Amino acid sequence: MRTRESSRQTRVAATEWPRDTEGGAMRARTRYIVPLTMAAALTAACGESGSSGTGGGGDGGGTEAAGEACAPVPGDQLVVLEDDQQLQNADNIIPAVNAAAAQANPALLESLNAVSEVLTTEDLIEMNAAVDVERQAVDEVAAGYVEEQGLAAEVSGGSGPVVVGAADFTESQVLATIYADVLTAAGFDASVQTAGNRELYLPALQRGEIQAFPEYLATVTEFIEGDDATEVASGDVDATVEALQPLAEGYGLVFGEPAEAADQNAFAVTQEFADELGVSTLSELADACGDGSLILGGPGECPTRPACQPGLEETYGLDFASFQEYDAGGPLTKAAIQQGEVSIGLVFSSDGALAQG
Amino acid sequence: MLNAVTADVLAADAAPNPWFDLSYVTSNWDTIVGYLGEHVRLTIGAVVLGALIALPLALLARRSRWLAGPVLGLSTLVYTIPSLAMFAFVAPITGITATTVLVGLVLYSLVILVRNFLAGLQAVPADVREAARGMGYGPARLFWQVELPLALPAFMAGIRIATVSTVALVTVGVIVGHGGLGQLITGGFAANFYRAQIVTGAVGCVLLALLADLLLAGAERVLTPWSRGTRA
Repeated sequence: MRTRESSRQTRVAATEWPRDTEGGAMRARTRYIVPLTMAAALTAACGESGSSGTGGGGDGGGTEAAGEACAPVPGDQLVVLEDDQQLQNADNIIPAVNAAAAQANPALLESLNAVSEVLTTEDLIEMNAAVDVERQAVDEVAAGYVEEQGLAAEVSGGSGPVVVGAADFTESQVLATIYADVLTAAGFDASVQTAGNRELYLPALQRGEIQAFPEYLATVTEFIEGDDATEVASGDVDATVEALQPLAEGYGLVFGEPAEAADQNAFAVTQEFADELGVSTLSELADACGDGSLILGGPGECPTRPACQPGLEETYGLDFASFQEYDAGGPLTKAAIQQGEVSIGLVFSSDGALAQG
Repeated sequence: MLNAVTADVLAADAAPNPWFDLSYVTSNWDTIVGYLGEHVRLTIGAVVLGALIALPLALLARRSRWLAGPVLGLSTLVYTIPSLAMFAFVAPITGITATTVLVGLVLYSLVILVRNFLAGLQAVPADVREAARGMGYGPARLFWQVELPLALPAFMAGIRIATVSTVALVTVGVIVGHGGLGQLITGGFAANFYRAQIVTGAVGCVLLALLADLLLAGAERVLTPWSRGTRA
């Protein structure tokens, strides 16, 4: 599996292009194209089937043609199909705290656990969208969340300065700011310090230059474990936390409770596609799409990575008609799903685009 | 864990993404001023420290050609280290602090400052120095009252170039989270290519460099009143 750093870089780099070429116009165009394409598709379907049924129930009738049941369906709204057999590593948000700082004042970890308790992936999606799409300031989005969840009232007992670290992408900035706001509410004198990548900030956390960091469970577990050959993280949150605790102890860190919120590889389809087949999980998709008509979209490495195409085929028994190469959860893949070029594509589970209409 | 949940999530329309947006500046004023302050502090700190280190080095280099070679060579060699690598080398020692950035900036300023200081000192006519010595000037008095005023235009030229180059280089400090206005530039890239944020950071850097150069030019004029007549 890719490390989070590289996936971030891909994502950032890839995210630039639609904006560069007038993102607004592109989105608007999609809106117009979609109804047209759908109309065209329906017309075509009616033509093929001899159009005996005028009721437009062509959806069900469409299955008769072998290998067409799971062909792409265009649509604006993307939905993630649940990874019910835990193919993806559990990259849940988990507070990482310097061991000495955690011992000095238990309120530090308790306050951050209060965030983990309420934070969901939908919250992440909404906040990422608020910053990346609606262009709201990180501080305001974070402060709004803390207030909305009433987190300030739940924490207390803090004192002294605390520096919360943040990586240089939106989600990490928002989470670190939420941590800092909650710690301030608890009585700490909290500030946020940005640091580029894990190779820099984790040693800084270890040394105590920063005291807390919103980490990703599976990725940080693998990072501390350090050996690329062995994989200790898995799709099971509890098992991964269990594997992480002794590793963290040796590294001079303490981890809090993992949040429900996760930012990991996920597979998205259009709402129309999901509705038509009545699927909400990848297992259901495998049951509904046994005829091998699925088209998969994702980054170039997908056909060889165990968490991508081979995993989908082996773990879920999915059968793909073809694979289309785009980017790693970036605008190309998302546009391909929306425009009906692929049935299902790789995205990041907390992507702000999942909140767009 | 992850359901097909997003249907009930608020639909978010993409906000416009113009290159120039005054409302970005006004609504993020405190953040911008904070980064600007850090940018100014780092620049001033680096140039002042750099000048304090460069002056003895230049004086040393003037003494003999044997010393001039290594001093100039070493400062040039340091300058060729890519800035990204420089901060990566220094970061394990000083951590993710502004000190890391400061150390790198001072080292980079040396190549400009040492060369200009040395050129200034070498440009002091030998007969002027000899005349001063003949009048009984000791080394310290000779430097302060004769050499420094004569070398000042070259010194100031070096400081001006070093300042402008440092303003630009501070932005690389984003690697350790202390890049001044550079934080806005990379932050804008990371936040789904937020143009207004990127442009604010970039334009801020340019304006800061111009302002600093203007102030130093003014200072030079005040400090060297004797050269004003010849220039006009």
